Amino acid sequence: MTLEEIDRQQDYQTLVDRIYRQDDFDFVGVALQAPTAPHAIKWLFVAGNQSEQFRKIVLRSGIGIAGLVVRTGKPFWKNELQQYTFSDEMYTPIAKIEALQSAAAIPLTSSRFHLVTGVLLVGYRSAQPVSDDTVSRLTQYLQAF
Amino acid sequence: MLETNTWIQQYFDEATDAVLIFKEDDLVVSNQIAQDLEQELHLDPTYLVQVADASVKQKFSATDNCFNCAIRNSMQEISIPITLAKDMPHPLKYFMIYHVINADEHVFSLTLKNRGTIERMDQLAQQRQLNQYVNRAHEEERKKISADLHDSIAQGVYSAIMGVRRINEDDNDEAAIHELTQVIETQLNDTLAEVKGMALDIRPSVLDSFGLLPALRVLAKRLQENSGVTITVSGNASTEGLATDVQNVLYRIGQESINNALKHAAANEINLLLVAHNHFIILEIIDDGKGFDLSQHQGFNGHSLGLLNMNERVKALNGAFEIKSQAGAGTTVTAKFPVSFA
Repeated sequence: MTLEEIDRQQDYQTLVDRIYRQDDFDFVGVALQAPTAPHAIKWLFVAGNQSEQFRKIVLRSGIGIAGLVVRTGKPFWKNELQQYTFSDEMYTPIAKIEALQSAAAIPLTSSRFHLVTGVLLVGYRSAQPVSDDTVSRLTQYLQAF
Repeated sequence: MLETNTWIQQYFDEATDAVLIFKEDDLVVSNQIAQDLEQELHLDPTYLVQVADASVKQKFSATDNCFNCAIRNSMQEISIPITLAKDMPHPLKYFMIYHVINADEHVFSLTLKNRGTIERMDQLAQQRQLNQYVNRAHEEERKKISADLHDSIAQGVYSAIMGVRRINEDDNDEAAIHELTQVIETQLNDTLAEVKGMALDIRPSVLDSFGLLPALRVLAKRLQENSGVTITVSGNASTEGLATDVQNVLYRIGQESINNALKHAAANEINLLLVAHNHFIILEIIDDGKGFDLSQHQGFNGHSLGLLNMNERVKALNGAFEIKSQAGAGTTVTAKFPVSFA
């Protein structure tokens, strides 16, 4: 890992903390793809977490909210998350262990080819819904970052 | 009309159920098998009438012990389990069906159906249903594999191909090519990981090469990563001397139980315990989920392979299988097999 990348990583914690402070989300997290094989995507920076369980999750492309964002490179949001069980495609591990009712996520991309290298996800534990409005708020945070 | 009557008469005589028709408690007519039973078992028809009488009385004990009143109470049929030839080495279990033919003239029939035959038919029906289910499960499995191949493997390979095409475009400088190759490598790596994951889901090679305990550990790790639920595996069992069949079944029980706990129990922690003793080996899967009422999941419910299948597979290898669960108190699945590590 280069110094520049380490800098960037610390910045992500700053970003996560800032969103958590300034907004009303119950949970904010950034998952990043490892630069070396097998390129596992893990939750590295979080705020508002209720346990350390998130460190055990390895994101799979295409599964759950974050997985869909990784695969498609498009923002995604979903409400009423607790109705999904493990066999559902919309089952999101982070929502399960952080007890999130709703979550929105946008992709983090590399500068050059706009490749998805990670996910920024926020969520509520209350019944507060998320929408495209949540997504645009997230995009603004990321742009200002 | 005459001919039809002959047929009916013939059917009556050849029927596999013994039929006896009574009028005013006297035997009027009975078919061949009833006569055979009568002769061979020294069966007294009036005994049957008494049994029927008693059971009717029991049912209508509110009435003043009058047989005919009971009949008038518009009762159509009543079935009574009865065992004949009790004092012989092989007692015969029957159902006796009491049917009123004409209430005014007090005509009624007693039909003896062999319970063994009925039980056998039930077994057969359940077996067929199971077969059908297993076939359907196979088909589902194939559908899933096919979908996985198409959705993740094919997609991954396809995007790698697109990447290679992009390398060949003219406007690339050195740095761009370098980054592109890295991207393609990542994609192929992901695809490789998918393929390995699928292979693991279908049939874990770890099980063949390293034994049951490592295989369960790999499985637990993978499911933990996918679900976020803590899954631990502990045990001392060396499974070298264990029959492959037993290892397979134990692995599948572990897999199925973890999946069940993740799917239905909303568990936060799942513990697997594999312990070998001198003469038996035990696998326990304990979760802290919401539990369920076992009595509602007994038998075959038509769509879940789950419990019944696990039970069948364990029984086939002389093992014992047990599920303990209570609503709100988690679930424990235990499978125990006799083994000799001699």
